[in-house]
Amino acid sequence: MPLLPSFDPPGFMTDFDGVRGLREQWSAFMARCFDETIAMEKKLYRAPHAWNPQYYDPTVTDPGPVLEQEIPWNAFPKELLRAYGRERALREADRLRPLSQYSDGFDGDGAKTTLYRPLTEYCEWHVERDPNTNAIRKVTFSSEPPEYWQALFGGEVSTPNGTFRFKARNPKKVLELYRELVSPDVQADDLIAHRDIVLQTGSSGTVIPKGEYNIYNKWNTTLGIAHLSAPPNSLAAEVQLGGDASVLYANAKGELVVEPDPLICCAGYGGSDRNSDPTIGATVNALARLGAMITLRNPVGLYMDHIDLTGWALPNGIAARDCVRVLRGDPKRRMIERLVVEVPLETGYTISDITIAGEPIRYGGQIAECITVKLVGLGALAGVHNVPVACDNRCCVDPAYLRTLDRAVGKTDPTPVGYIDAFEGEGTQRLVPAVVVPVAQVATGAPRPVAHHERRPSMRGSR
Amino acid sequence: MNVRTAPLEPFLEMDDIQGMAVPGFLKPYHTLLGLRTTNDDAGARKLRELVGEITREVASGLDTFRDREAFRQARLALKTRYPRSRRALTKGDEGAVLVGIGLSYRGLSLLTPGADAIRSEAFRAGMVARSAALGDPQDLNDDGNPANWVVGAPGKELDALIVVAGDHREPVSKRSDVLRRRIEDCGIHVVYREDGNVRQTPMEERGHEHFGFDDGVSQPAIRGRVRIDGDEKFISQRNVDPRVQPETWLYGRPGQTLVWPGELVLGQPASSPDPLLPGPPSVTTPPWTRNGSFLVFRRLRQDVGLFWRTMRDTAAALSKSGWKITDLELAARLVGRWPSGAPVNRISSGDDRALGTTALANNYFKFDSDTVKIALVADDGMPYDDPFPQAKADPLGLACPWAAHIRKVNVRDSGSDMGGGDATYRRRLLRIGIPFGTFLDGKQKYQDHSREKNDRGLLFLSIQASIEDQFEFLQTSWMNDDARPKMPGGNDMIVGQNAAAVGGVRRCTLIGPKLQAHDVSAPRQWVVPTGGGYFFVPSLSALREVLAR
Repeated sequence: MPLLPSFDPPGFMTDFDGVRGLREQWSAFMARCFDETIAMEKKLYRAPHAWNPQYYDPTVTDPGPVLEQEIPWNAFPKELLRAYGRERALREADRLRPLSQYSDGFDGDGAKTTLYRPLTEYCEWHVERDPNTNAIRKVTFSSEPPEYWQALFGGEVSTPNGTFRFKARNPKKVLELYRELVSPDVQADDLIAHRDIVLQTGSSGTVIPKGEYNIYNKWNTTLGIAHLSAPPNSLAAEVQLGGDASVLYANAKGELVVEPDPLICCAGYGGSDRNSDPTIGATVNALARLGAMITLRNPVGLYMDHIDLTGWALPNGIAARDCVRVLRGDPKRRMIERLVVEVPLETGYTISDITIAGEPIRYGGQIAECITVKLVGLGALAGVHNVPVACDNRCCVDPAYLRTLDRAVGKTDPTPVGYIDAFEGEGTQRLVPAVVVPVAQVATGAPRPVAHHERRPSMRGSR
Repeated sequence: MNVRTAPLEPFLEMDDIQGMAVPGFLKPYHTLLGLRTTNDDAGARKLRELVGEITREVASGLDTFRDREAFRQARLALKTRYPRSRRALTKGDEGAVLVGIGLSYRGLSLLTPGADAIRSEAFRAGMVARSAALGDPQDLNDDGNPANWVVGAPGKELDALIVVAGDHREPVSKRSDVLRRRIEDCGIHVVYREDGNVRQTPMEERGHEHFGFDDGVSQPAIRGRVRIDGDEKFISQRNVDPRVQPETWLYGRPGQTLVWPGELVLGQPASSPDPLLPGPPSVTTPPWTRNGSFLVFRRLRQDVGLFWRTMRDTAAALSKSGWKITDLELAARLVGRWPSGAPVNRISSGDDRALGTTALANNYFKFDSDTVKIALVADDGMPYDDPFPQAKADPLGLACPWAAHIRKVNVRDSGSDMGGGDATYRRRLLRIGIPFGTFLDGKQKYQDHSREKNDRGLLFLSIQASIEDQFEFLQTSWMNDDARPKMPGGNDMIVGQNAAAVGGVRRCTLIGPKLQAHDVSAPRQWVVPTGGGYFFVPSLSALREVLAR
């Protein structure tokens, strides 16, 4: 496969076209995400062992013919399902929460008043209800990464291990899009931070500076949705997850850790209670164990693959497909970025009149259960092999509340009181004739950089 | 850090749980009796009277377990898993005849207002109401449309399903005749009766379903113990050497994952994110549903000729495009196993009957990683050395495609669209069904039998704790969906349906030996639903103390 000339915007969207230099900057941003991730993985190794990179930037490296590996997952957050069961999870999914509830790390003043959606499967939605009847009029789903909008607005954007400044900018285009997609009432002033919004303090501090684009603005949270905004739902996180999962890990016995849950607990990437991250990680890691060189397919993005309308029933013979519109992305290539579900106004019916398998739609999450999200990886069977590194972390569970894997601790940290370790010796590949990098030799003298999107949410506080 | 020990498996109340649910009858001869009464006080009175009578005959889990143990011992004594005559295993007598009963929401509602409190939308709505979501044909002229179903059609839904099972046809039929008379004496109509028989001949196809493949190889094993005759035993056989940890705690037979009993029986501990730790018990609302299960019955007609002609034509087309493949090789890839039951992941070059019929080997393989040999103990307590080639990692689905039936319904060690391991454990169900209709021999398999009066197929019966999360999820989200649980996939070409496509055309992607992708499609459905229903299998105490009163 020839070198990729440059990274295209997600879903081949064209909003950058009117801004000189922005496409190039986007490509540079994507390349930075790959480069930083690869550098971080390299740091896991110390002489005499070195990482033969199995993750690559396709604008720089051509490892030969590739196979596509699409990785799908369900849009409804498993974190909520595990924590609450379906009925309450459906209610919770339609509600916004203060960022301070997302994780202990969101401890800034701004986190108490800034709202996010607890939708952590790279697909978020907004439900519009009739104020008089409470019937659902419209549900809008988005898988557009925040970075795309931040780039268009201009300013600083997080990368896996730093930041990238988009200098070419067109805030007016952002306003136009908000007015077109969300509401004609949106004002330019609504989209920016009016003071420094401190979300996280300390070394991993996150601040939305005064005057910059605020991804948590009201038109992207309480009043509508333009793009993803929940902390883990970023493109940088996706790129980093791919890289993290291309490293092989071994447990204390030297056995490769291979299965999705033990692996995510061991490597410490992503969210262990999600549909997406454990399966993305395990899929990438399985390719890495075959000796593959791995990257993400251009345009790198998070996409809705399809919505399954089987079993949807509407009154008066209205066809379910007439209630679904794809507004952004590339539906032919199953790279959907924005999707709206709405019963045609002229019928006089609403989404609340739709049943799925006989069950009336009461929440947006019931539609999300029908949506498949995906990313697309590429693997070149290049015969690259590495020794595994020792696990960084492990998951602990509360034996009296065995629903979630929500407590991750460092490999040498004591097990929290009242908890037990999960996956002791499970999910491994036995008798691996491979050298394991001893714990002391792994370059972990300094704590491994942890981007804010890697931090685990704590569901315990909100049970 | 703590040191993991063997999980403490619960003692199941096997004298309360119906044997049809746990451990499951799994007998070679069945008769199903479908009952329907009037939806009024008189109907309720008759049904209550019948339940009172039948309850005395319903086999408990303990009865069924005891029968199975005797059977195992007889097989060990004969030193063969497949004796020429089944009478040899039942010592020449007729063997046990086991009876089970399930009640639909309509039937249960006649007996108790508590039926409304059962936490299952699917159960309360019934299979007809959920048929469209299952992907069943919506064309009123299609045999698969509920309006044309042989059993359980709209307005004709069953109130109860009685399952009679045994080792020989004659005693099962006799017992069914007696039961039928008694049911009718109670004033209730037997609106459906059908026999199911496991294929007995030829010897090499014993136990194979109508398309010719061994069925039921990868059942889940039930985690739990039973007290019997002063002894304590595991409900499911264990064959991994106890020194091989954690595998000895993860598998019944090698590769057969142990699932917490709450996935099959209400009120028992269910799965947690860690397979060795018990999760919260499955919900029991109302309380008398404890030790009960949901039963899905689906009468699936199989068009053997259409299946094999499509395999033949598709294999020919693939061969023309450069991938030399036979119809048998193609069918094996779409199933994920060769006819003998040998998994294509362990042997991709052709069928191996010895592997397929060896229970200690035919289900031991992973998809994402190389499978490594482990020490095993045979049923007679002697070490067993698995001589067959071990499976190699196949994450991309080169050997066993992601659309293969066995990979669609059980992703094993892989992640899926629903996340990691517990997403798989929570989908497992116990299949207790049996084929119906006459079997065709190899020479007849390409012929057109669609106009014959008598059809053939599978009386699909499954036990689960949640119809929505298990049976319906597997059918709609994994078998029917072309992108789930993993890609490059497609529809399950064996039993999936694709209602979203014009004409219901099913498609999948296979990767050839030169790593090229080949699209395979089937314009017509060779497995067609022709009836069914959703039932609740109450515990014996619920039958006696709640429903028969």
